[in-house]
Amino acid sequence: MFGQRIRRVEDPRLLSGRGRYLDDLGHDALAVAFVRSPHAHARIVDIDVSAALAVDGLVAIYTYDDLDGRTSEPLPLLIPHPTLNQGRTPYPLADGEVNHVGEAIAMVVASDRYVAEDVVGLIQVEYEPLPPVVGLAASRDGDALVHADVPGNVAATMVQEVGDAAAAIAAAAHRATLSLSIERSASMPMEGKGVLARWDADDESLLVHTSTQSSTSVRQAIAAKLSIPVDRVEVVTPDIGGGFGVKIVHPWPEEILVPWAARRLGQPVKWVEDRREHFISSAHERGQLHEVEVGYDDDGRLCGLSVRFWHDNGAYTPYGLIVPIITSTQLLGPYKPGAYRVEFQSMYTNTVIVTPYRGAGRPQGCFVMERVMDAIAADLGIDRAVVRERNFIQPAEMPYDHGLMFQDGRPLVYDSGDFPASLAKLKALVGWDEFDSFRAAARAEGRRVGIGLGCYVEGTGVGPYEGGHLRVETDGSVVVSTGLTSQGQGHQTMLAQIVADELGVEMERVRVTTGDTRRFKYAVGTFASRTAVMSGSAVALTARKVRAKALKIAANALEAAVDDLEIVDGQIRVKGSPGSEIDLGSVAVLSNPLRYAFDAGAARATQFAGPVDPTAPPVPEGEQPGLEGTDYYSPVGSTFANGMHAVVVETDPETAEINILRYCVVHDCGTVINPMIVEGQIHGGVAQGVAGALYERMEYDDAGQLLNASYMDFLMPYASEVPHIEIDHLETPSPLNPLGVKGAGEAGVIPGSAAIAAAIEDAEGFAITTMPISPSQLFDLRRRHCER
Amino acid sequence: MRVTTTVNGERYDVDDVWEGESLLYMLRERMGLPGSKNACEQGECGSCTVYLDGLPVCACLVAAGQAGGRQVTTVEGLGSAEDLHPVQQAFIAAGAVQCGFCTPGLIVQTHDLLRRDPHPDDAEIREALAGNLCRCTGYEKILDAVRLAAETMSAAPVDDPSGAAS
Amino acid sequence: MEFLAATTLSDALAAKREQPEAVPLMGGTDVMVELNFDRRRPPALLDLTGVRELDEWSMDGDVVRLGAGVTYTRVIEELGQALPGLAMASRTVGSPQIRNRGTVGGNLGAASPAGDSHPPLLAAGAKIELASVTGTRTVSIDDFYTGVKSHAGRPDELITAVLVRSARGPQQFSKIGTRNAMVIAVSSFGLALHPDVKRVRTGIGSAAPTPRRAVEAESFLSSALEEHDLWETRAALADSLVREFGERVKAAARPIDDVRGTAAYRLHSLAVMARRTLGWAWADYAGGTA
Repeated sequence: MFGQRIRRVEDPRLLSGRGRYLDDLGHDALAVAFVRSPHAHARIVDIDVSAALAVDGLVAIYTYDDLDGRTSEPLPLLIPHPTLNQGRTPYPLADGEVNHVGEAIAMVVASDRYVAEDVVGLIQVEYEPLPPVVGLAASRDGDALVHADVPGNVAATMVQEVGDAAAAIAAAAHRATLSLSIERSASMPMEGKGVLARWDADDESLLVHTSTQSSTSVRQAIAAKLSIPVDRVEVVTPDIGGGFGVKIVHPWPEEILVPWAARRLGQPVKWVEDRREHFISSAHERGQLHEVEVGYDDDGRLCGLSVRFWHDNGAYTPYGLIVPIITSTQLLGPYKPGAYRVEFQSMYTNTVIVTPYRGAGRPQGCFVMERVMDAIAADLGIDRAVVRERNFIQPAEMPYDHGLMFQDGRPLVYDSGDFPASLAKLKALVGWDEFDSFRAAARAEGRRVGIGLGCYVEGTGVGPYEGGHLRVETDGSVVVSTGLTSQGQGHQTMLAQIVADELGVEMERVRVTTGDTRRFKYAVGTFASRTAVMSGSAVALTARKVRAKALKIAANALEAAVDDLEIVDGQIRVKGSPGSEIDLGSVAVLSNPLRYAFDAGAARATQFAGPVDPTAPPVPEGEQPGLEGTDYYSPVGSTFANGMHAVVVETDPETAEINILRYCVVHDCGTVINPMIVEGQIHGGVAQGVAGALYERMEYDDAGQLLNASYMDFLMPYASEVPHIEIDHLETPSPLNPLGVKGAGEAGVIPGSAAIAAAIEDAEGFAITTMPISPSQLFDLRRRHCER
Repeated sequence: MRVTTTVNGERYDVDDVWEGESLLYMLRERMGLPGSKNACEQGECGSCTVYLDGLPVCACLVAAGQAGGRQVTTVEGLGSAEDLHPVQQAFIAAGAVQCGFCTPGLIVQTHDLLRRDPHPDDAEIREALAGNLCRCTGYEKILDAVRLAAETMSAAPVDDPSGAAS
Repeated sequence: MEFLAATTLSDALAAKREQPEAVPLMGGTDVMVELNFDRRRPPALLDLTGVRELDEWSMDGDVVRLGAGVTYTRVIEELGQALPGLAMASRTVGSPQIRNRGTVGGNLGAASPAGDSHPPLLAAGAKIELASVTGTRTVSIDDFYTGVKSHAGRPDELITAVLVRSARGPQQFSKIGTRNAMVIAVSSFGLALHPDVKRVRTGIGSAAPTPRRAVEAESFLSSALEEHDLWETRAALADSLVREFGERVKAAARPIDDVRGTAAYRLHSLAVMARRTLGWAWADYAGGTA
């Protein structure tokens, strides 16, 4: 199974309209809508609900003053960091002040959503507007403050340095400075967030369904905030309509408020985010400004690199400094920087919070580093691919220690990769060496074409751990669960492939559950391209454990040595000795001695069913009943996937419209479990990379209003925009895990802006330093370039 | 108000429909047919694509009352998990499904494309699907699936449950 | 809210007179969005999709009477010959699903400066038919747009049809947007050659508070064509003439900066589209294909 294009087991339901997403559940539940701030920054003077109280169907209106116990405290700062000394998180409902348009102020519970929305419209909130801080420039000015007690709007300043970068740059034969920026975008899954909570008053327990990337952690958060024992809370993820990072943040205010209201009202309560809410009250990412100084020798080799950047973290910092830490470390890509210094400031603005979106700071880092490579090539007149080759970390240098601390608090050590081989494959795939003649021929026809490269390294599969549980039922079926969640990556299929191989059973016998705390209590979540690495390894280890137990029982039953046994299609048999075999279901029966028979299988395990050894306990010492096991995988560090993209663009000399002619990818995620799924991940990532380069941005005005908060104006690409994507694979297995796998989920998005900017630059002949870029902006750049 | 309509060949009399509500809301909340998905409520994403009198439309932009006396076919009417339509089978074979949220709309839209044009070229496929947003797949394998469905369906034609013929 | 389902035009007009504030509903591409987003709660919806008279088009001599309820899909499939400019513009509207529902009448009713039907209807010199229980009148497209998202119809009137003379010469439409599909125009331009009367007409979209013609550019080009006898000779147009036409089209626009593009880009792209559409249209004319 491993390595094969196995069809997804998830699909028949999803294709026939039988998928069950959050909004497809809970038709008996009360509906919730929120009063959200129309101001980016304001004090709340008064909330008047009197006009709303008469509405038929209204159940309750809650404001901050109704919150009790720990729900009245700020939401948790999920990932504290020693340098984050000015971390701030919001309250579930605003306590007197709002810090971005969309912040929740009042919660309305009603018989249905239409009624709830009508009530929202009748609640009068009086505001005293405060000066809004919008954009990094305003934030750095510090004239107005987002949080009155945070001087200069600086949440954190962090510096890492290896060697003496300033000295190395000063001593270098050549120097360059660059100013590079990326605008905000967002994960924008097709399904927004949503929460359904049921309080069982008799059992004093909560059952919560939520569209999250971390069910176990939402469970802990709800228990903590509602002061309920953890064992009285279960959190289940239904089908999830995409995540891309935004659903790893938790608890979202609604994930506390909806269960809180369900308990208070004694009725099921459901909230489903609408699209505008998703734009103005979930999370964005990408907005960063970078100032770069670089020193290099005559061959284009880096001597020293110094990067200072400003990260727009929005109004609050619930997810800590993860995004800028990733930029500051993963910026280095496949290169040796010489001496390296990086300093960032994480800045508050009166805008939606910033948390990881697929790629999580890497697209910005890759953009910076690849622009540096292209600048060096341009300065020295060296081929852009050659400059990269000269700066690559070589395969023989693996594992390669950068001397920095990564986002998991562990050393940044690359475990594997063959960058020269990857680039060679990419050059062959795109026809790099032939492009000069193509460009010249196009020029002669009055066409403008260009080619660009983007190379990245991506730390994937970060810890601390994931686990797996596996049980063989007496009918021979195999039930597997892991605690992390799925948002469409085909985890049920991929994990079943691993189990089928490890255990020796048919795929069809394996059923996998993810993200259900009733089934598995210990987990971290789905982020950082970690499922195949973490849960994949965990279920592999678990399957090995259960296999060992099965062989032990079977050896006893078949009177054979364990080492002589094999499991094929669910049958345990003596190698080379056909006829003597026992199926896994029967082994499961034998593993669980019974007193009571409830079916024919069980009858075989009861106490009078066959010969017993009266001197031994029915369950052997050191064993447990049942053919099941649990195991965990916890690696010493992340594993590093890598890849390189090449893009060919054509720009219209008159209208400045930008068209991608070719998009080529070489990708190394170690050993591949299911090529079809991995390709799908790359394709989807590339589409988001193209989107971030050419189409998507968050347009805030100076007052902090998000001007394009709808699918009509936030331009996500359709089939008519995403080019055909050509892929070649390289497999350098990771030495860090039992499967040799590296993460693949985020990879495709990372070099999009870098490669497309390079291609446009090549076509136009002037530097591209800001992404995304629209035809209108390219037109503007052309005019400015002409004027110069 | 009451709306009487035919969905997937079955007649429904739906009561207490609010005059301003959409066909999508009525299907999902009042008729127990949640297969059509709600992602934008403004006709931009195509996740709620259904047939209305044989033409694919965004159910979020059709007032529930406008479906009165008309024929609606949803993804649930094209094939069940146990008996998938060749378009649905092609999506599995090509790996064209990820999170599945946009998929029901794409199935209806692809079904319509292949009914009108059994052998579309790539440009025609992209054009036909240009009202269906997918955030997961980058469309590449969806295009594969449409080509594959076109092949298998021209080899073995199937009944048309969309109501277009009626 | 009331839901009024009209099945005949006289029913619809009576309902509109009874409740002038009832919002006419056809493809729902504008009205339903406002309802879904809680932006609008009109006292009544007047569903016109069951009114057969609106759902038809017919020829009256060489004039197409296009019912207000005819969808873009049908314009594309059935009227590509008679109304080529409108058919071209219709192809760029939304998505297949939107084109299956959206109507030219609805586009006129919304009167958004970005509506795709307006430039070709301006260029073709259409007339808008407005009806009420007191009678029917027609308004020239030149007088139809009265302000941002407002038009010459009265509250008791419905837009019942668009009257457009079948094309006597080449028509072109061009639109620039950031994205290919489902795009709201950054700017758009429609051009129609009327060789029978030796006139050129134009329509500009998304580059002024209302859709508008580039009247001065039209007369400049019309007189230049006449002066050099080009309608008869069908000789190639001088680059300078084409360029000047583009500049004059640009001069007619009054665009703003917004999220879709800057005013400068809109002006520039209009000049480019004017040149290109004129080039294509004249090539058609010179080739005698239209």
